[in-house]
Amino acid sequence: MSTYEIKFSVNGNDESLAVRGDETLLRALRRVGYVEVKLSCEGGDCGACAVLLDGVAVNACLVFAAQADGAEITTVRGIGTEDDLHPVQEQLIEKGGVQCGFCTPGIVVSAKALLDENAAPSREDIQRGLAGNLCRCTGYKKIFEAVSAAARQISEGGGS
Amino acid sequence: MSERVVGRPHPIIDAAEKVSGATVFIDDLELPDALTGMALRSPHPHARILRVDTSAAERLPGVAVVLSKNNTPDAPFGINHKDEAAFCREKVRYVGDEVAAVAAVDEATAREALSLIRVEYEVLPTVADPFAALEPGAPLVHDSVAGNVANEFHIRRGAIDEAFDEADATFADEFHTHLAHQAYIEPTGCAAQWHPDGKISVWGCLQSVFLIRTFMLAPVMGMSADDFRVTQTKPGGAFGGKLDVKAALMAAMLSRAAEKPVKFMMSLEEDLIAMRPRMPVHISLESAWKRDGALAGKRVRIVAENGAYSSLSPAIMSSIALRTDNLYKTPAAEIQGRLVYTNVIPSGQMRGFGNVQATYAWESHLDNVADGLGLDPADLRLKNYTEKGDVSLHGWKIASCAVADATRYVVDKMDWKARRARGGKGRGVGLASCIHVSGNKGFSVELGPDDTDPSSGVVRVDEEGKVEIWSGESDLGQGATSVMAYIASEVMGIPVERFKVPPTDTGYMPFGMGAFASRITLIGGNAVKLAAEDARRNLLDAAAEAMEIPADELEIAEGEVRAKALPERKMAVGEVVGRAGGVIEGEGKWLAGGDVLDKEKFGNPSTTYSFSTHGAEVEVDMETGVVTVLQVCCGHDPGRVINRLGAEGQVEGGVVQGMSYAMMEGLAPLEGRLRGRNFHDYLIATSMDAPPIEHDFFESMDPYGPYGAKGLAEVAINPITAAICNAVYHATGGARIRTLPVTPERVLEAIEEAGR
Repeated sequence: MSTYEIKFSVNGNDESLAVRGDETLLRALRRVGYVEVKLSCEGGDCGACAVLLDGVAVNACLVFAAQADGAEITTVRGIGTEDDLHPVQEQLIEKGGVQCGFCTPGIVVSAKALLDENAAPSREDIQRGLAGNLCRCTGYKKIFEAVSAAARQISEGGGS
Repeated sequence: MSERVVGRPHPIIDAAEKVSGATVFIDDLELPDALTGMALRSPHPHARILRVDTSAAERLPGVAVVLSKNNTPDAPFGINHKDEAAFCREKVRYVGDEVAAVAAVDEATAREALSLIRVEYEVLPTVADPFAALEPGAPLVHDSVAGNVANEFHIRRGAIDEAFDEADATFADEFHTHLAHQAYIEPTGCAAQWHPDGKISVWGCLQSVFLIRTFMLAPVMGMSADDFRVTQTKPGGAFGGKLDVKAALMAAMLSRAAEKPVKFMMSLEEDLIAMRPRMPVHISLESAWKRDGALAGKRVRIVAENGAYSSLSPAIMSSIALRTDNLYKTPAAEIQGRLVYTNVIPSGQMRGFGNVQATYAWESHLDNVADGLGLDPADLRLKNYTEKGDVSLHGWKIASCAVADATRYVVDKMDWKARRARGGKGRGVGLASCIHVSGNKGFSVELGPDDTDPSSGVVRVDEEGKVEIWSGESDLGQGATSVMAYIASEVMGIPVERFKVPPTDTGYMPFGMGAFASRITLIGGNAVKLAAEDARRNLLDAAAEAMEIPADELEIAEGEVRAKALPERKMAVGEVVGRAGGVIEGEGKWLAGGDVLDKEKFGNPSTTYSFSTHGAEVEVDMETGVVTVLQVCCGHDPGRVINRLGAEGQVEGGVVQGMSYAMMEGLAPLEGRLRGRNFHDYLIATSMDAPPIEHDFFESMDPYGPYGAKGLAEVAINPITAAICNAVYHATGGARIRTLPVTPERVLEAIEEAGR
């Protein structure tokens, strides 16, 4: 199996690494320390590994690392950290849209991607926007409420 | 109710680290130089092992150790029956059974090593169906267990024959449930580090760090429980599935043999084929009634599918058999249960612990009864519910109960009477209720130190005024430790932002049984409440000395000790602690109430009981059989709500998880081989499936609970399956779903059956 020397930026940090042709972006990101990208199904079903790849939400398990050469990647920590939370994260806390927290990094990424495209999503828009992110704890209701509230917060100038 | 903290909506205390991806789950744990552990699993449901040759794997560069029956002792383990080995010995008994394990420098090497292990099998006839397993001459799953019966019982209580002889009406039904997985999103894993003094540290997504040592690690490895320090990593969901985690044993054994740290992470496929999913069960019900709708007696016969090994299965079957008898005033009952070994994945506990299955069957049956008696299903239930002060047929003492209020709420909110009058045109409503324990004394004997079902807590305040709670119980993501923080905050008058509850750790924390049986809020919550009261007393004593004011003239509010009469005389809690020379602690211990059941399963297994009623409105496409849940409405009695936001999350999550179980899940075994091996074959509810949910709490203020609280996790899931099936029955004019899940095919068959 060939190896490739690739470069990409993750949350603004430049990374250079050697990857095998069959190494997924998920595995490569976790290998170099971005463990906030969660590994679960590795089949594109659960959405726990969602990242923004040049601004588009993708499942990192369905992208080869080599395909991401030159890309700008954003993980949940590029969207917001404990000290500087994004409105989606703030509202997930406030509305109770987080329980075990394992699916949450992927939910934040998908919700951010949704709000980037649609500033005032309906409940159905949110349902569709999160359809690729499985959550087993919350029953989704409070996640919908959080995304809705985040949209309002952003439109009222509460940051993006 | 003048509490400042309890009863209000709060985020869970670790929400910020979770939403920012900072939480360290087991797969994120950094363990320098850790080897990768992996298991070789049986490809056959049933085969004799003739030879295991690991020599080629051992020679592969990068392989540290290969374990199998060849080099590990014959030390069977199991909670009820010691019927399972670390590695299969004479036979493999299900597809996924551990035959060998390797530890190697990386995953690729470990995988290659597994491929080099040669196992010679003599394939044996598979017995996958429990009824076939009970036939004379059926292949034996365990050669020493005649008839494949892992456990059985037969109980008669009350004047059961007279109840049926003198009944105005009797009804009979059969129900069948399916093999369904906990399907937490985080795959299971554990890590272990052997130390040169012979002790072993273990980390993992575990529901009970204390008990995994005593029922699995210590007996199999020939060590004492104290030789293990087990630390929980926050589980990415558990739902019962992470109580019984063999990955801990694999990691510990590999680490000891390799004398190096080992991480043993399972893939999702391994999780789905080799953990302990919800037990499938076959339930026959007969019930006897008076004309006015009073229950006179019931007969229950159960055949429960144990699978290859018996972990907590006898207790689960017992729960299925007896639980619903305590929800209604039941004068007499006859109950028979048989737990049957098969060559299928061992079944186990999932949220509800058998009560999901039992409630589905009994509450479906009740709607058939209501139909037969010409009564409204809600009225039939309201006539027969247990009440506060009752002692049930089996000896359960009902200390608090608001199930009737919950049902009246559902009836009111759903506009029940009007909607019931309109059924049968593809749209309908149904409801169902349940009772659940808050802790179960039986587990304390089977899994714990003795019959006390204990919990302990330590509350420590430091010189910065920060508070840490040590409890041996554990958070599974449901917010259990947040509940503890809110209770302690209420007691101590210190803002909750200053509280921290680290994950459970046997290395320094006091004993706790762990998270199962909806026990944490009641049992762990009481222990922490006592510890917080103790810490508060110690703080006030220290403050009395520092401020030269008697302790009984002081109070704590907003993190300050204040003189009640002179509010300007005050001192920050941290300063009090600093002046006292360091940390101020409080300790608390609480022993659960109730009894260990006698041999006839008589007694009061829990301190107290929780209740709920779920209602569902469905639309059924009469042409295709597709069912859509339009809305869910439910009422819960958790005694008292501690954290409203967390309690709502439990209800909404439980309802959707239960709906998912009812309508789309199933590992679908065929001759012992499972079809569900990933999340596109094993479907769980997505955001697109989540129905609107309206709900409220009916607080019965339990006399034993901390601030009146009791368990909520399991009453949140138990009734929804029956509520949906009863709504389908109503919508279709009588299509009764007797086999789960509620697939379009089954709905069409039931419509056809109802039309005959």
